Amino acid sequence: MIKLKNVTKKYGSISALDNVNLEIGAGEIALIVGASGAGKSTLMKLLYREEKPDEGQIVIGNIDVSSLSHTKVPYLRRRMGIIFQDFKLLPHKSAFENVAYALRGLGAEEYEIQKRVSGALKLVGLLDRAFNLPSELSGGEQQRVGIARAIVQGPPLVIADEPTGNLDPQTSFEIFKLLEKIAERGTTILISTHNQQIVQQFGKRVITLDKGEVVADSGSVNVPGFSYN
Amino acid sequence: MKELRIIWRTLQEALSSIKASGITNFTVVSILGVALALFGGVLQLNSSIKQISQNLDSQLEFSVYLLDSAEPKDIASQISKLKMVDKVEIISKNVAWERFSKRFDFDDIAGNPLPNTLHVNIRRPQDLDVVVNEVKKLSGIEQISYAPELFNGLERVRSILFSFGILITFILAAGTITIVANTIQLVIKSKSLEIEILRLVGVDDWFIRGPFIFHGIFYGVLSAIFAILFLVIFQKFVWNTFQSSFHTFMPVTFNFDSGMELGIIFMIMVLTGILVCGLSSYATTEKYIKI
Repeated sequence: MIKLKNVTKKYGSISALDNVNLEIGAGEIALIVGASGAGKSTLMKLLYREEKPDEGQIVIGNIDVSSLSHTKVPYLRRRMGIIFQDFKLLPHKSAFENVAYALRGLGAEEYEIQKRVSGALKLVGLLDRAFNLPSELSGGEQQRVGIARAIVQGPPLVIADEPTGNLDPQTSFEIFKLLEKIAERGTTILISTHNQQIVQQFGKRVITLDKGEVVADSGSVNVPGFSYN
Repeated sequence: MKELRIIWRTLQEALSSIKASGITNFTVVSILGVALALFGGVLQLNSSIKQISQNLDSQLEFSVYLLDSAEPKDIASQISKLKMVDKVEIISKNVAWERFSKRFDFDDIAGNPLPNTLHVNIRRPQDLDVVVNEVKKLSGIEQISYAPELFNGLERVRSILFSFGILITFILAAGTITIVANTIQLVIKSKSLEIEILRLVGVDDWFIRGPFIFHGIFYGVLSAIFAILFLVIFQKFVWNTFQSSFHTFMPVTFNFDSGMELGIIFMIMVLTGILVCGLSSYATTEKYIKI
């Protein structure tokens, strides 16, 4: 569960987020929409503690992100997966190695890496492209590798910041469907997007931001049986 | 076990960043190697001169250089008559020149510039000053080389060399720190995507910084090894050859190989290399890697 209470974030005199209150349940998919500069990316960055709020409180599960000490930030990030608009794949590493890279840094054993990476690539439908370099994959496939990397540790929360910003509508829809499939496994998923067409087709909870304020929320969909620890 | 795996992978990452640095590695190691060789050389010279100074008290021999007009046998005979003198050896200028030219393969074109020399051995070290004063009174003496004079000279040389050497070492070390920092900064920039991914997936701080710090330490160790090899080769093949060539004319010998002390100096060189490069790399990661 994600809870934001009176969260404000300013860059100089400009308010990126202004007194935002929000609750997202465990296992829920929520779409954050809004025009460029509405505060979507700032909200995402606050959640993975790339930024700190100037005011208010952010709680993810039982972790108070807003007051989390610098040394505890890696612990928070291990419990979430992050998906980026520009994929952030290492160009000289294969799809498999891109997904395995983080696990190696976390000290996972080789057999565990093999098992987890293969599982993640299978879930995103790329097991047969595991040893291709990013340059040999299409944009949609590259984003699938990014998704596999985000879920390889089995995090309870996935944050996707404009995951389809660089993709065509058909591929974008496939990526959303894939994220929906991941959410069915009990993962809370928060997606920021400005693609209205996808939002309407997708039929999930939509939170609309404008000039740093929540101006509309289609409402929480309770997903029974999931809890965020 | 997990920690060992992370250390091993950190080393692998360090190796990859060393490979990525290419020719820069050579530049850094060369400059740091020269700085460390100089530092080690200064430490050794300082230690050797101190050792010689301590041994000079018990020196039982001194050298007397004669004017060309003096007759070596007469003066040797007069010195031998002193009760405190044990033995006087005459090294004629011809013998000295013969040894010298044989060793260096010189032609006798410019003439023999060496003086007739007497090596005087006394029975007890405490009689040295008395005997030297007696010898000084004799005519035909050009110069006497003996411990107290040498001691003062050596102390002056040691002090100048030590201060100058340390100053040069510091200047080179400052240059090295800058070069190491710039190299690590470039590697950090070239690996910015890797760093960003690692920190966003929650990899520990030291796994991200570790490879760059190991990279710096690698420079320190490798440079120290090169510096030590250089010093060993210099002493074995250059200094010792030079010294044995001039042994006839020198009242004391510099022996760099002081066993235990030499090991300590080499250890200091390695630790200095590690410390300078490690700290420089650490400071660079602190400045350029945002966790």
